[in-house]
Amino acid sequence: MTRREFMLRSAVYGSSLWMLLNTPRPRALRAAQETARREVLSEAEWKTVEAITGRIIPTDHEPGAIEANCVNFIDKALAHEDAKMKPLYKKGLAGLDAVSKRRFAKPFVDLSSAQQDEILAALESGKAAGWPRGDATAGEFFTTVREHTLIGFLADPKYGGNRDYVGWKVVGYPGGGHHLGGYSPAQLIGKEKIKTAWGEEV
Amino acid sequence: MPTHEEFDVCVIGTGAGGGVMIEQLTAAGLRVVALQRGPFLKPSDFDDDELRTVIRDQVFSPDQIETYRYDAKSPTETGKFSMTAHCVGGTMTHWAAWSWRFRPDDFHVLSTDGPVAGASLADWPITYDELEPFYERAEWEFGVAGDAAGNPFASPRKKGYPNPAHPGRTASARIARAARKLGYHPFPTPMAINSQPYGGRPECVYGGACQQYGCSINAKATTLSVCIPKALATGKLDLRPQAMAREITLGKDGRARSVRYLDDKRAEHEVFARQIVVAGNAFGTPHLLLMSTSGSFPQGLANGSGLVGRNLTFHHAAAVNFTIDEPARSFAALETHVALDDLHASDARRGFIRGGVVAEFNMLMKQPLAFALTGLPGYPATRTWGSDLKDYLRKFPHAIGAVGILEDLPMEENRVDLDPSIKDHYGLPAPRLTHRQHPNDIAMNRWFTTRLLDLADAAGAVDKWSAAAFALPNERAAMKGSAHFHGTCRMGDDPKRSVIDRWCRSHEVENLWIVDSSVFPTSGGYNPTLTILANAYRVVDHFVHEAKRQNL
Repeated sequence: MTRREFMLRSAVYGSSLWMLLNTPRPRALRAAQETARREVLSEAEWKTVEAITGRIIPTDHEPGAIEANCVNFIDKALAHEDAKMKPLYKKGLAGLDAVSKRRFAKPFVDLSSAQQDEILAALESGKAAGWPRGDATAGEFFTTVREHTLIGFLADPKYGGNRDYVGWKVVGYPGGGHHLGGYSPAQLIGKEKIKTAWGEEV
Repeated sequence: MPTHEEFDVCVIGTGAGGGVMIEQLTAAGLRVVALQRGPFLKPSDFDDDELRTVIRDQVFSPDQIETYRYDAKSPTETGKFSMTAHCVGGTMTHWAAWSWRFRPDDFHVLSTDGPVAGASLADWPITYDELEPFYERAEWEFGVAGDAAGNPFASPRKKGYPNPAHPGRTASARIARAARKLGYHPFPTPMAINSQPYGGRPECVYGGACQQYGCSINAKATTLSVCIPKALATGKLDLRPQAMAREITLGKDGRARSVRYLDDKRAEHEVFARQIVVAGNAFGTPHLLLMSTSGSFPQGLANGSGLVGRNLTFHHAAAVNFTIDEPARSFAALETHVALDDLHASDARRGFIRGGVVAEFNMLMKQPLAFALTGLPGYPATRTWGSDLKDYLRKFPHAIGAVGILEDLPMEENRVDLDPSIKDHYGLPAPRLTHRQHPNDIAMNRWFTTRLLDLADAAGAVDKWSAAAFALPNERAAMKGSAHFHGTCRMGDDPKRSVIDRWCRSHEVENLWIVDSSVFPTSGGYNPTLTILANAYRVVDHFVHEAKRQNL
């Protein structure tokens, strides 16, 4: 069977590639598809997490974490697969505001971008004055939100982030090749354009 | 008369070693029961969802727990350190399909290079010439695509590859050109992925999800796609997924008698067989033998030598990432398309013995999360967030990786044993890894990293960096795990210095066989799977021959 025949048969008879699209989905995925409403974070926490993600992957001439709705990815992950990290977020967000208020007398969301960066750098280094004593460290909280932001930016949009594929557009990833039907030898060396997951020819 | 059903053979594990055994034993008419931890997945269970499959590991080994320590004096960490797949087809299910024949001297490291302080070097009891026909058989059964004349340093062969080499991507061409510029001899990496329809399986569509993924169209050859369907078709196979072997019992006659296993609800079952083949990989096999204690074997089954679990080798990889001034298209096609073997031969004048193969390697830039999370460490950014991070992420389309698959030296202290306190998902003692690098590994890794950086320069690198996930910058920075693991039940002629004989049969328990990477006395500077397959074909030929003569 040639590649073309295989693709044709897939389209007509609905074999493997069609089955791929019907793979049982994880719970967070279903939740993200059903609703973009808050599940775990309070309204204030949502705004604070969104502001952190916006400094981790900032908006410049291209969209960043805010446009990608990384905070929605994080909310859904905390509701399901990463539920064990909920306490870290709750304590960490309280700690972040305590540090912000001590340094600038304002909660994190009300700071300028430069001030927010200063606070996050302090968290990252683990030397954040005002961070409450306890089991969650500032560095651990920062690392977790940073990693979640990256995943929210670059995981499949079905998980609630990477809205309108903005993450993949920024990094130049066309989407999963098997989902897209693969690439021809000419496409592998740029002699032919390829189609992205969002239907653009590049 | 036994009151229970007794199979001819029980095979524990369905990966490269077990899968071949199962296929060939059932083809010979023997009744086989196969036990495999984890589910029996279908191609439709596989997709290229990076978060689900790689980052969250929800497909292949969600329940894996291991512990690691640097040496006996160091603290123990709990986590996942080895890259394994718990499903029918074993770890081969998510392999990248690099398919090498070892070189003749890889089987005789001790005789070739002499003893090295701190290393437990040993020769294999078999030669390349003995294995050569079985390498050929493995290449033809699994449809390896390659150019038999491409590598001037390759082992001698009688027959070419069954399928032509795959076309490469932009990145592959850049690496090949750079290699030629430096006087090397690049050639297409031999891969067990169909470059044309073969063996009833379709050709590859170059979607890019190979390593760490199951193939959704079966273009990739695995024991799941090649061996298991044939074995099931004979009607001679009783395949039992969700079966975690926990103990091999010993009869009064000193022969292995049964295997006790736990299902996914932790309920215990027992299955009886006249011959027992363990193929649980270099972690799973010693883990099972060490749990199988009895009066005759208080320190684990077939472990009179005390070597079960010892001499664990990992390989170590030198890896360099770089970017070029045009789209590299590393997201498409196979993990590697081009390799060079010019640096492989052992040469003590370099400051170390042994070596390895060098190849294009897209593991850290085939998909964006791997690039973002694993590719960044080692990159010279001031900050790992903010505009520095975003600028790094935008290099994704231009990124290329190169790797050296490097032979590490065995050490007796590097081992797998049973963790005294941590239990796994089944309530069994977790496998505990104790592993540090030999100074020879560190010296080799540094030397190869420099060669890879030179290769990047010759390819016109804009940025280049050594990937921290693989680099061994100092003696203390041990790799905690690997996708290649070998050595924990080494084969040899001397029962005091090896666990199994040249036919991979226990020196001490005559109906117990071990057929996986744990039998490798040394690791070779190549990915191990084709050698596991070839060795399994060699062993099963002997097994069936002896069975027909009523010698088992």
